[in-house]
Amino acid sequence: MRHDNDHGTRTVILGVAASDSHVVANQLIALGLRAQGWHVVNLGACTSVAEFAAAYADHPRAEAVVIGSLNGHAYEDLRDLPAVRADGLLDCPVVLGGNLSVGSYKDSADLERLYALGVDVIMSDPEALPATLDGLRARTTTAGAS
Amino acid sequence: MTGAALPAADLPSFAESVAYVRALGKPSAADVLRAAEAAGRVALQPRCGVGSHAQMMTLLQDLEQHARPDVLTLTIDSHTRLKRFDQARAALERNPADLNGYPLVTHGWRRGRELNEAVSAPLEVRHGSPDARLLFTTSVAAGITSFEGGGISYNLPYSKAVPLSESLAAWREVDAMCGDLAGRGLVIDRELFGTLTAVLVPPSVSLAVSVLEAVAAAREGVRCVSVAYPQGGHFEQDVAALRAIPALAARYLPADVEVHAVLHEFMGVFPRERSNAEDLILYGALVARLGGAAKLITKTYQEAYGIPDTRAGIDGLLLASRANSPLLGFIKVDEERVGWELEWILREVAEIVEPVLCAADLYQEIVAAFQEGRLDIPFSASRYARSEVVPRRAADGAIRYHAAGSLPFSAGTRRHNERSLAADGGPRGGDLLKGLTADINYFLHEFGESPAAPS
Repeated sequence: MRHDNDHGTRTVILGVAASDSHVVANQLIALGLRAQGWHVVNLGACTSVAEFAAAYADHPRAEAVVIGSLNGHAYEDLRDLPAVRADGLLDCPVVLGGNLSVGSYKDSADLERLYALGVDVIMSDPEALPATLDGLRARTTTAGAS
Repeated sequence: MTGAALPAADLPSFAESVAYVRALGKPSAADVLRAAEAAGRVALQPRCGVGSHAQMMTLLQDLEQHARPDVLTLTIDSHTRLKRFDQARAALERNPADLNGYPLVTHGWRRGRELNEAVSAPLEVRHGSPDARLLFTTSVAAGITSFEGGGISYNLPYSKAVPLSESLAAWREVDAMCGDLAGRGLVIDRELFGTLTAVLVPPSVSLAVSVLEAVAAAREGVRCVSVAYPQGGHFEQDVAALRAIPALAARYLPADVEVHAVLHEFMGVFPRERSNAEDLILYGALVARLGGAAKLITKTYQEAYGIPDTRAGIDGLLLASRANSPLLGFIKVDEERVGWELEWILREVAEIVEPVLCAADLYQEIVAAFQEGRLDIPFSASRYARSEVVPRRAADGAIRYHAAGSLPFSAGTRRHNERSLAADGGPRGGDLLKGLTADINYFLHEFGESPAAPS
């Protein structure tokens, strides 16, 4: 049973947050997903929330938008997310990973305020991404069936 | 262009700036590099840049007083790199500590002269701008005699959407201004950023990009070129890459252009344990010595944690300077292995650059070649490189081409890379993603540190 796009390929939108040009991890994640058969729309470095939304409009079957952020500015860079989601421009899950706040000491409040912006999943291990995407799809499928 | 809005009219003429540098009475960066090479020692340079003018002055003076670097750096903030001069000014007025470097254009050339006069070492501006024209003219006005960057190397790793034709055209103007200054008797050292994205850069990719930038610069009148290469991690391969620089200069550049080899101490994932980080710093400095580098850009034991403090900068310089000790002359390299690596590096670079250098219009050809993947770099931030090149470490740690994309390599070159990667049971790691991650975390594995991300 597949709920994929016309070519039977699962699609994900990938990118690095707006003020960040660290792309090595981003490209490794793209390589890893493509090797597993995913169609990866990789928007690369310095991608604004508006650009993610535009890519979602082009690829409405995308299962998730996956955002990396390594420079500590995730909150600042995702500030437009609530508005974009309220306007219905980004209706798929948003997954976020990386170094998500400035400084060496991390606080759960740093993550809570990201969830409050509308981030669905925060993850620390890129290797867990395929399993996370499967989990999100199962959730969507179940919700659709009920 | 944003730059046009700034009062460039405030800048002194080139004639006045040349006279200022002469009156300053200190050696230029080119003088320092020439003297280091003649003396058979490696000149040392830290990275350093803070937003506040007063703190920048203190930082330079502290580094000079305690570690005597041969060249000092103004690392420029990212707003200025991207020509967002208004944001740089706003941040400077709000809180200079928010800036990740010294906003030279905003502080202005007169303050640049103050910094220059406060230390005896010449200064280099290091930044990352695809269009550095205003930063360059401000640097010249400040009497700064070394300027890093290039139309390829300061675009592809740093920007997503700046067309190569634009960055190449902007850097062509910078090079032409260097030619004008050379005609007036002031030789600016133009350092090329072969480090690119800093991770797993195959030596021939780094050197090919530098050769193209150097040929372009020389044609515009640049008379001193520093070719910077990032330490990859394999001793003989790194020594060979440094020794390739004079050979490439002899092959591709006019004889009247001075060329210096520069090594960047390892730019990838650094060990977190101070002692391990210091081992790597000394090891890098020995690579520079044995490779015949004119200059070494140093790292610190705080590398894994972020921007280093002044004490760490001083300690990094002092440790790297140990490699210049006359007592270490007994350290030899496997010359046969170095010679073999050198031969392959020169062959790969030739296969990459020679078709491009044959073209009637070098700039158009560079743009077209990157479009077609005949030129390429791994892990590019820019849409204007394909990044189909996938590097891997062979079992011995050398960096090879796992995939060469559309680089115009001969069958022999492809076979050489395949064989090297297949030797000794193949590269470490499982699938490509795990393997590349292990290759990137190479020194953590060497030191037995866990690859967990630093908190």
